[in-house]
Amino acid sequence: MTAPLLVAQAISRRFGGILAVNDFSFEIQPGEVMGLIGPNGAGKSTTFNVISGFYKPTTGKLTFLGEDITGLSAAAISRRGLVRTFQHGSLLREMTVHDNILIGALRAVRDNSGREMRVRETAALLGLGGLLHATAGSLPHGLQRMLSIAIAFAARPKLLCLDEPLTGLNSTEAVAALEVIGRIRDEYETTILLVDHNMRVVMRICDRIAVLNYGQKLAEGTPEEIRNNPDVIRAYLGDGE
Amino acid sequence: MRSARAGQIVVALAAAAVLAFAVLGDDEYTQHLLMWTALNAVLAVGLRFMLLVGETNIGTGAFYGMGAYMGAICTTKWGLPFPLALLAGGLLAIVVSTGFGLVTLRTKGPYFMLISFAFTEVVRLIYTRVEWLGGNSGIIGIFPPQALDPWMSVLTFLLCGGLILMMYLCEQSNLGRVFRAIQNNDAVVETVGIDVVQIKLVCLVIASFSVGIAGSLHAHIYNVISPGDFSYLVPVFALAYIKIGGDANVMGAVIGAAILTVLAQMLQGMGSLEHVLFGGAIVASMLVLPDGLLGGGRRLLRLFSRGRA
Repeated sequence: MTAPLLVAQAISRRFGGILAVNDFSFEIQPGEVMGLIGPNGAGKSTTFNVISGFYKPTTGKLTFLGEDITGLSAAAISRRGLVRTFQHGSLLREMTVHDNILIGALRAVRDNSGREMRVRETAALLGLGGLLHATAGSLPHGLQRMLSIAIAFAARPKLLCLDEPLTGLNSTEAVAALEVIGRIRDEYETTILLVDHNMRVVMRICDRIAVLNYGQKLAEGTPEEIRNNPDVIRAYLGDGE
Repeated sequence: MRSARAGQIVVALAAAAVLAFAVLGDDEYTQHLLMWTALNAVLAVGLRFMLLVGETNIGTGAFYGMGAYMGAICTTKWGLPFPLALLAGGLLAIVVSTGFGLVTLRTKGPYFMLISFAFTEVVRLIYTRVEWLGGNSGIIGIFPPQALDPWMSVLTFLLCGGLILMMYLCEQSNLGRVFRAIQNNDAVVETVGIDVVQIKLVCLVIASFSVGIAGSLHAHIYNVISPGDFSYLVPVFALAYIKIGGDANVMGAVIGAAILTVLAQMLQGMGSLEHVLFGGAIVASMLVLPDGLLGGGRRLLRLFSRGRA
């Protein structure tokens, strides 16, 4: 087995009296799609914010590609190859699709013609090829979600962290999005960490899943193991009392 | 694309006409009006430059004042040559705005606005307390070299035009795209590896440099400066220029500066009515032309072309 891409060692994040993430450890292997699930308020988003550098962990250590990245700024972590999207569609609403994706490629590609190629290739991959001159805010919801992935993927990260990429998509759009995520993994050898509420989707695309509950890790394993784990079933469905 | 090209030609023609006037015109009052307009245009474009990253920088007044005081000291106290006095105003603004930005740019929106407001007022109060800077009465007798007298308006026009052009080119480049991206959603910019605070600092420093040079020019054109010239009202008026001309592009700020500078001069003889009418003009244009004169003109043009089609 190769060295893990990202190692989170006992990370915790406290907000005043609330321990949003508590002693959470996990590893992400290169090439896999890892899912992070849990009921509302379980600490999924906080975990995302901690590993992407938007929050500093209260305690714990993060190692990415063998380097300690604990406490680095979000921009610095991104430049090392860990790029995230946001739950509520992260767009530059007043700018064109082209400029949105260009901003994503700006730091990763050094010359202008290379950037243009990167923009076109990324737009085509995410089904935005014909819409380069459209204003981002005017796109339908489904395409806005694709664009927010395009911005992040234009940087060609090694680890792409998707925060609820499928929320609000209809079933056709969700299928298309899943196909794109699969292509990003297979054709570009990108490792993916994914948070989503849609259990069926997560079960289908993820190689491994970690379950968070009340800020702590409840279970970790293959989709099959998670589906049959009594603790997980209890957390989601209640224990019948 | 074609309308942008046409716009550039119109701007170039207008600039050439003003320049010809600056060279050929011999009416001293009109020459001064032209110079005041040029200075105000730099202020408006400089303030708008930071609006590109979404921040209202009231510190524009402070950096304008620093440029003016630095220029005045260079000329009257140190006897340095005029070009050096101009440059010194810009350089001081670079140094101070870097320090100011490093401390304050982690705040944004209303917080940054209030801090920059406080900064401008504190700097102004410092001028009034420091005897060496002339205290409340300021510094007098700031003259450019006598040989430059007939060329002062041309020089002002070219220098201010150059500063505005520099900021315009920055806006058109990828740097300008990042500015706009930060205004749209700074978290996205951060996630793709761009340091938002660093880019905002670059933005602040470029704008402050321009305004600092304009400040030094101001000192040599007015020949007298005092602390009251550099209060928060300077950026507030600049904001009015931007809003009245139209904030969609640089030309809006320039046109707004030109119109309001001339209007202010016309109203000056009216005593206290001046401020009432000036305020009234601002309110009226905001009500009738919410996206400024330039936006209104564009809408009118569209209306005509639709009528013809």
